[in-house]
Amino acid sequence: MYKTGAKIVKVLTNIFVLLFTLSAIFPVVWMLYTSLKTNKEFLANTLSFPIAPTLINYLNTFEVGELRHALFSSVFNTIITVPLIVFFSFILAYFFARFKFRGKGILFGLILIGMLVPLHSLLVPLFVQFKTTGMLDNRFTLILPYIAFNLPLSVFLFQSFIKEIPSEIEEAAYIDGSSFDRTLFRIILPICMPMVATVAILNVLHVWNEFPFALVLNKSPEFYTLPVWLTFFNGAYTTDYTGKIAGLMITSLPTIILYMFFSKRIIQGMTSGSVKG
Amino acid sequence: MNGTLFKLKANHILKYLFPVLLIYSVAVLIPLVMSFVYSLFDDTGTAFIGLQNYAALLKDSVFWISFKNNIILVVFCVVGQVGIAFIVAALLNTKFLKMRSLHRLAIFLPVVLAPVVTGYLWTIIYNYRFGLLNWFIGLFGMEPGLWLDDPEKVIYMVSIPLIWQYIGLYLIIFLAGMQNIPKEISDAAEIDGANWFQKNLYVNIPMLKGVTQVALMLCISGTMKTFDHIFVMTGGGPGTGSLVMAQHAYNNAFLMSKTGYGSAVSIGMMILSATIILVTMKLIGMSDKNV
Repeated sequence: MYKTGAKIVKVLTNIFVLLFTLSAIFPVVWMLYTSLKTNKEFLANTLSFPIAPTLINYLNTFEVGELRHALFSSVFNTIITVPLIVFFSFILAYFFARFKFRGKGILFGLILIGMLVPLHSLLVPLFVQFKTTGMLDNRFTLILPYIAFNLPLSVFLFQSFIKEIPSEIEEAAYIDGSSFDRTLFRIILPICMPMVATVAILNVLHVWNEFPFALVLNKSPEFYTLPVWLTFFNGAYTTDYTGKIAGLMITSLPTIILYMFFSKRIIQGMTSGSVKG
Repeated sequence: MNGTLFKLKANHILKYLFPVLLIYSVAVLIPLVMSFVYSLFDDTGTAFIGLQNYAALLKDSVFWISFKNNIILVVFCVVGQVGIAFIVAALLNTKFLKMRSLHRLAIFLPVVLAPVVTGYLWTIIYNYRFGLLNWFIGLFGMEPGLWLDDPEKVIYMVSIPLIWQYIGLYLIIFLAGMQNIPKEISDAAEIDGANWFQKNLYVNIPMLKGVTQVALMLCISGTMKTFDHIFVMTGGGPGTGSLVMAQHAYNNAFLMSKTGYGSAVSIGMMILSATIILVTMKLIGMSDKNV
């Protein structure tokens, strides 16, 4: 009697968690297959699988919505900023992890501020600052803020990693006559490669998905990033549901694919990053 | 020996530290200071008006409505993200649960979506005629609802996509924490005859205190600055039904071009968020541990 009871509990628990998992993943799956339906088919039945899967929504999206510009902008911003974020945060973290210097505490505090301050409070001053210096509405406008805002988390991730590396490695290198630059980039950086990958992937996600700064700092459609393009595209084509969903898919596919390949690194980075923050 | 080897040289500072700090200052530190400065000026940015913007902020009923909405979101997200994530993590940690890694992977997936995508996806799910939600409740014979158009319930409706998107993050945080609990302890509890509830209550919850505190802080600070989801789902509407502080700041600064007042709203938002975080830290006993 007791045993069957326990068995029922086990089965019910499995079913419960399975339903929970379905609720997490189903909207994404639904978005995926609905993007392959025609509007007519969608309006006839919200839930059904596409009878004849078609890429027409994707083709239409490329025709009407300035998508090419947005795709280019998003890719451009990501390709330019992510290596620089990795590079700069690695250097900063190395100084924090290895050196004692005057003002280090203050400097560390200033970096910490970047993680705690809601970035929305910086929208207005940054907008004004960029406006007065003529840096608004430009291919390169978002580079600087994207690098700066993603530095703190990346610095913390690198710093905790570098601290674990025994400093005897550098001591040996210096004794062998290695210069500072050489030690930094030829000895420490290769050891940090697993963390380089984690930081890079996390930052691809952050930069790719960023919205408020892209919305405020670049006003011309030429420089819209995908999330911003999506808001205008959605407003303009109010009845084209499957077209909209194709737009959502185009924005999400890169991050979903990235997740499928690097889920372990993403999860690891986000948990250790959040535990640090 | 050690001291001379790891001595910081001036040229290293100039070559490496200085450029990085310059970028960081221009994009984060200077704007942070300027935000305070602008909030002391009028909306054209020309006349110094002292604390008048803040006096207006205190009397701005819309700002306080947006603050109240933020608080509602925080309560829902703390329960819905941290609370549910803990329970599901505890379930995932039982031996008899099948396909554990699949669950973990699937539940985390929404975390990597752009908040804008989540917002639009749920707008379509909430759609009156074609949305999944009305289809789903229709299965149980319930009447379809106007989910995002009802000022009374919109704030609760917009909290669901937020919970949906980030619950995976907290699940993963708790799972990582549970893995760090020494196996001997949970084995000992089992030998003593503790059931699942007792094990969680007397072993997991106390052992995960630090992890829970971090999760709570993350959840509260993240939810206080919610913007993207609200912007794309409702823009704060209908009326002020789902207005949050970040959206109010955006509306003032960028739709109404009130630079001074918009900055004051942002600073007000920062102060209120910091206060709530500090109070929570005190309540859950984080301050005495000096985290």
